[in-house]
Amino acid sequence: MNDPSPGPRRRRRLAVVSSFGMAVLLQTLGATAAAPSATAAAPLQDRACLRCHAMATLAYRDDTTGRLVDLFIDPGRLAASVHGKLACVECHAADYRYYPHPQTATGERLDCVGCHQEERAPTDYSFQAITAQYAKSIHANSDDSQTQGFGCHSCHDPHGFRVSPVGKPLGAIVRDANRVCLTCHAQVRDPVSDLHRWLPNRDAHWTAVRCVECHTPMAVSTDETHRVSHQILPAKESNLTCVNCHSGSQPLLSRLYAYRSKEDLARDGLFAKAVFNEAYVVGMSRSPLIDGLGLAVIGLTALGLAAHGVGRYRACQRSRGKQP
Amino acid sequence: MSAIYLYPRWLRLWHWLSALLFLVLIVSGVSMHYAGTPGLLSFKQAVPIHNAAGIALTLGWIAFVVGNLITDNGRHYRVQWHGLAGRLIAQIRYYGYGIFHGAPHPFAVTAAMKFNVLQQLSYVGAMYLLMPLLILSGWAFLFAFYLPETLFGIGALWIVAMTHLTVAYALTLFLLVHVYVITTGETPLTNPRAMLTGWHRETGAPLH
Repeated sequence: MNDPSPGPRRRRRLAVVSSFGMAVLLQTLGATAAAPSATAAAPLQDRACLRCHAMATLAYRDDTTGRLVDLFIDPGRLAASVHGKLACVECHAADYRYYPHPQTATGERLDCVGCHQEERAPTDYSFQAITAQYAKSIHANSDDSQTQGFGCHSCHDPHGFRVSPVGKPLGAIVRDANRVCLTCHAQVRDPVSDLHRWLPNRDAHWTAVRCVECHTPMAVSTDETHRVSHQILPAKESNLTCVNCHSGSQPLLSRLYAYRSKEDLARDGLFAKAVFNEAYVVGMSRSPLIDGLGLAVIGLTALGLAAHGVGRYRACQRSRGKQP
Repeated sequence: MSAIYLYPRWLRLWHWLSALLFLVLIVSGVSMHYAGTPGLLSFKQAVPIHNAAGIALTLGWIAFVVGNLITDNGRHYRVQWHGLAGRLIAQIRYYGYGIFHGAPHPFAVTAAMKFNVLQQLSYVGAMYLLMPLLILSGWAFLFAFYLPETLFGIGALWIVAMTHLTVAYALTLFLLVHVYVITTGETPLTNPRAMLTGWHRETGAPLH
């Protein structure tokens, strides 16, 4: 992500980016300024912003944390994102029109619901539900100092966010979704880590399902969408029950395949989609009762047929013995 | 020695192709259902094999139904209800008792009717009841993400899964019984040979 920093961090860094600092940066980094073609595709009103922010090396070191804060916006990713058609100042304070950016602009705190609270068109995403879910999330309630200032943009890069395109392979969707979590939680994939050691076929799970499948509540109340919840659970409350997914119930399938659509089917063709689909989850067809009955009936029948065959063989031997 | 041409080329081709697909589907299906059990195919291998074989079986089944509609092979699947109980009892009595005592077969194969009543009922059940259920539930599995969440208040996917599983066990049982019963012709190889050559040949020698 180009902008992994949460809201308050953004506020801090923008406060630090005073006119003096910016002027020095511009002098220093002028040589690496983005090529004119990189910003040419941007809406006219954004070109002024991207003149600086499209520079790949635009950054500063935060005085408080000592960390390098990246201010680079990739114009290509921005244009392809869900927000690509918006002008920068539609989200960011109008004061950002001016350079050097005045102090009054730097106090802004942006989040998704700020803009999306009144969706006019019907959408799969209920931002009110997401807000309610997020409020219960470990990210919103942890005492850990690392979660201070956590917000939507800590995970979702507003300058690059896009809905998984139709037909994107499930493996790629899983990989991209998990990359967001692993940006901060890389230690869980450490080969010597004991976390997830309990999980059978751990690596298969890591490539086939998103972290959020287990680390969010399985049951989504009926007034919410079937999208995965934004209530990220603490480790000890996360899903440890295999049959929540490995069963004939549908939540995992609905969540993973929310990305699929009829257009996807039309594009790949019925047969290709049928042969290479990934809809079957191990355990989906398991039933101890039917398995037990089925195997018992087949086993007993096999025994009965074998006995019948032996009887026929003996009868045949007998009748041959009687023949002159 | 009598010889009747009972199995046209298309029917024999369909039969042996279906037999092969049944075996592939059982092996790959068991590998998916009991994934992780040693000695089975890997789950990743089994899924596309099972899906492809299932699609081929569907096409074969459609060809079979169409073949029965446009040729006179379909007449063998029309159940004659008159005297059904008597013929059933005679057939069951033969398999359960007569076959061990050199009794004559209660049913004589003719060009008009090649199946005895038990064969006919089991084939009609397998081809016109179990196979459609297997195929429908299989395709519902393939496009499970388009299924409604619930059907009659029960999880739709669960209904599909349990139908597919039950029918799969039933058809495996059918295959097992079919392979055995087919050896109860005049000689154990009379019927399998007929399905290879198309000609049902009997010598009229005593039955075993």
